Amino acid sequence: MKQRRLWSAAVVVMALALVGACGGSGGGSSDKADVTVWVDAARLPVAKAYQKEHPDVKMDIVTFDGDGNGATTLQTKIQLWNRSGKGWPDVIFSEQVNDPIWMARKPFEFAAPLEDLIPEEVRSQWPETSTAQCTVDGKQYCVQDNLAQVVLWVNQKKMDEFGYTVPTTWQDWAALGEKVATEHPGYIVGNIGDSFSHWIYLWGNQCPLQQLDGEDLKIDAADEHCTRTASLLDPLIENGTLPPLSVFTPDFAQQYGGDDDKVLLMPGPSWYAQAVFDDALHVPAGEMTAAAPLQWEDEPVVTGQVGGGPWIISRHAKDSKAAADFVIWATTEFNPTGEGEDARPGYPAYAPLATKWLEALSANAYFASDPAPALQAGADEVWDGWSLVTYPDQPVWSDTVVTKLVAGDSLSSLLQPFGDALTDAAEAAGYAVVDN
Amino acid sequence: MPSSTTDPGNSSPVRATRSRGLHGWRGFAFVVPYLALLILFGILPVLYALKLAFTKESGAWAGLQNFTHTATDYRFKPALVHVLLYTSVWLTLLILFVVTLALLLHGRASRASSTFRFLYYLPGALAGAASVLVWLFMLDPSVSPGSFLVHHVLRADLFVESIAPGKLPFIFAMIAFWTGAGGWVVVMYGALNTIPQELDDAARIDGAGPLTLALRVKLPLIRKWVAYMTILSFATGTQLFVEPQLVNQASLGMVPDTWSSNQLGYQLAFRYADFNSAAAISVDLLAIGLLGAVVIITRTGLFKADD
Repeated sequence: MKQRRLWSAAVVVMALALVGACGGSGGGSSDKADVTVWVDAARLPVAKAYQKEHPDVKMDIVTFDGDGNGATTLQTKIQLWNRSGKGWPDVIFSEQVNDPIWMARKPFEFAAPLEDLIPEEVRSQWPETSTAQCTVDGKQYCVQDNLAQVVLWVNQKKMDEFGYTVPTTWQDWAALGEKVATEHPGYIVGNIGDSFSHWIYLWGNQCPLQQLDGEDLKIDAADEHCTRTASLLDPLIENGTLPPLSVFTPDFAQQYGGDDDKVLLMPGPSWYAQAVFDDALHVPAGEMTAAAPLQWEDEPVVTGQVGGGPWIISRHAKDSKAAADFVIWATTEFNPTGEGEDARPGYPAYAPLATKWLEALSANAYFASDPAPALQAGADEVWDGWSLVTYPDQPVWSDTVVTKLVAGDSLSSLLQPFGDALTDAAEAAGYAVVDN
Repeated sequence: MPSSTTDPGNSSPVRATRSRGLHGWRGFAFVVPYLALLILFGILPVLYALKLAFTKESGAWAGLQNFTHTATDYRFKPALVHVLLYTSVWLTLLILFVVTLALLLHGRASRASSTFRFLYYLPGALAGAASVLVWLFMLDPSVSPGSFLVHHVLRADLFVESIAPGKLPFIFAMIAFWTGAGGWVVVMYGALNTIPQELDDAARIDGAGPLTLALRVKLPLIRKWVAYMTILSFATGTQLFVEPQLVNQASLGMVPDTWSSNQLGYQLAFRYADFNSAAAISVDLLAIGLLGAVVIITRTGLFKADD
């Protein structure tokens, strides 16, 4: 019976892989293909568009569940390819911004350094914070497809209706949350139940839970930056204006989405506009816009990041030049003004493309007012004290914090267990952890 | 499983005692195709796992190092506790309900009985992973057709609450029960059918009611089948993988990806590329399964020919 189960799981996985392969392959067979690319569903259009523009390149496109949350799809595959000594794709897009970190290292050693593959004058057009996230031991192993800076999403229509002003500091935001709870119960000023909510609230408030200093990894959940944030959020979690629910659950869409949506404010990444407000929550056009990232009283503005998926070229690529050409095209040329199927899902990381994308965004009728200035302002403000590491921290957050928030515990009481669980995960991954 | 060559379902006790030698050879012919698969997918992987578990990555002898290393891993104990709790809940449910349902079915008129047998078997006809996916919807109060049950029995208004850590062993046991128990009810029913009608009649003449008949006559006669089910299910239970793995992905990580021991082994192999430690955990699980089997076999006399 055990075998039967494992087998059925294997069959499902294989079926998914096959469906993915057939869905996108456009007739290319793997042994003839010049470039094999693995992409998530959102990056499928760019791969298809490249194929259309370059009919001379034989492409083999495979879609996979690029999301992470600790899913080990890619790690499993790369281990198996490494063991069998063949089968590696030439290019991978991952939704996990930390994937290049382990891909560059032992035992995976999959990613190729880009210094010789993508010219310096092209690479220099990425923001420094983005390039830094792709750099492992002094070499650059990826280029990010998009930037995922956290800004404050605002329901302009409802804010005007209720007569509130858009907060600029976390303190004003929290005070407004208290006010909303009494004056307009049911409305929310954010949410904290996603597997990445700690990147929004703790990364954005300089809580050192993942800070590399040489070989040491600092994890200090007792740091004042963490505790003061938790104390600020706890009353809002309790009064219901910051629910511990995920924006991607049907519950959330039912309760807070739709024509009569209840989202007043929401700190969230740049890609929320389309993926969350439009597609998932169906907030009507003419309501949402973006405001600059919140700052802590009079301290300098820093913000968090959720995503920023990277392109990685394999060091086993048969034709590295063709692979690099595809990556350059996908990140520097693909359709900043596309709509529908061909719309770029996020803020392009390549600066010249971002300018065009922002112009198109300004003209987009979905927004109540132009979100471009706020997004642009946040682009270079991602706090650099949160390092990317080889292990996934999202499941740790979901497991140790979110489940307990749902059960009624306070964030303040969960910080230390979260820090301890992160320490366990970091040590298991081979990091030397320090707490100050 | 060592039970393959002497599967109690293979022979009726009467025939087996009459011509054991010849029957044994005929039986062998029947199991040859299975034997090939057993060696290929059962015995060789076990030997490979044993080799990995006692060696280092370089191939050098490691002694018990891999075992002590994994046993001190911070995820090892919670995973083992989860699995043992799950297995005990599931086995209890399985034995109680399967035996009760089979006995009840056997006491019914044959037409009603065959309808019920079909109904019981139906959920098991879904492939394991697919049925877990169905359960993911069943457990989400916002889409579940049985949402009032989710509300009242699990006291959950949200999917997150349905899969709260404390409820998980019971949730997984329930999923496994619904997908696996029906098949066993049919097997037990088959076992009950091997009881000679004369025995049944004799008991009735002696004044045994349906309850006495079921508990005093039928139950002792299908004891071996129950033991057989327990051995297989115990091994399946301790090697739990698909349910927590899928719930982990569906809940975006709210259920840890190392909830069960088998998952921990999987993570060690593929995230940390530590195949030797992963093999050590597999060997642990194999040992637990074998130990369970030995205890049950010696206690029930499963392989005694002259019962």
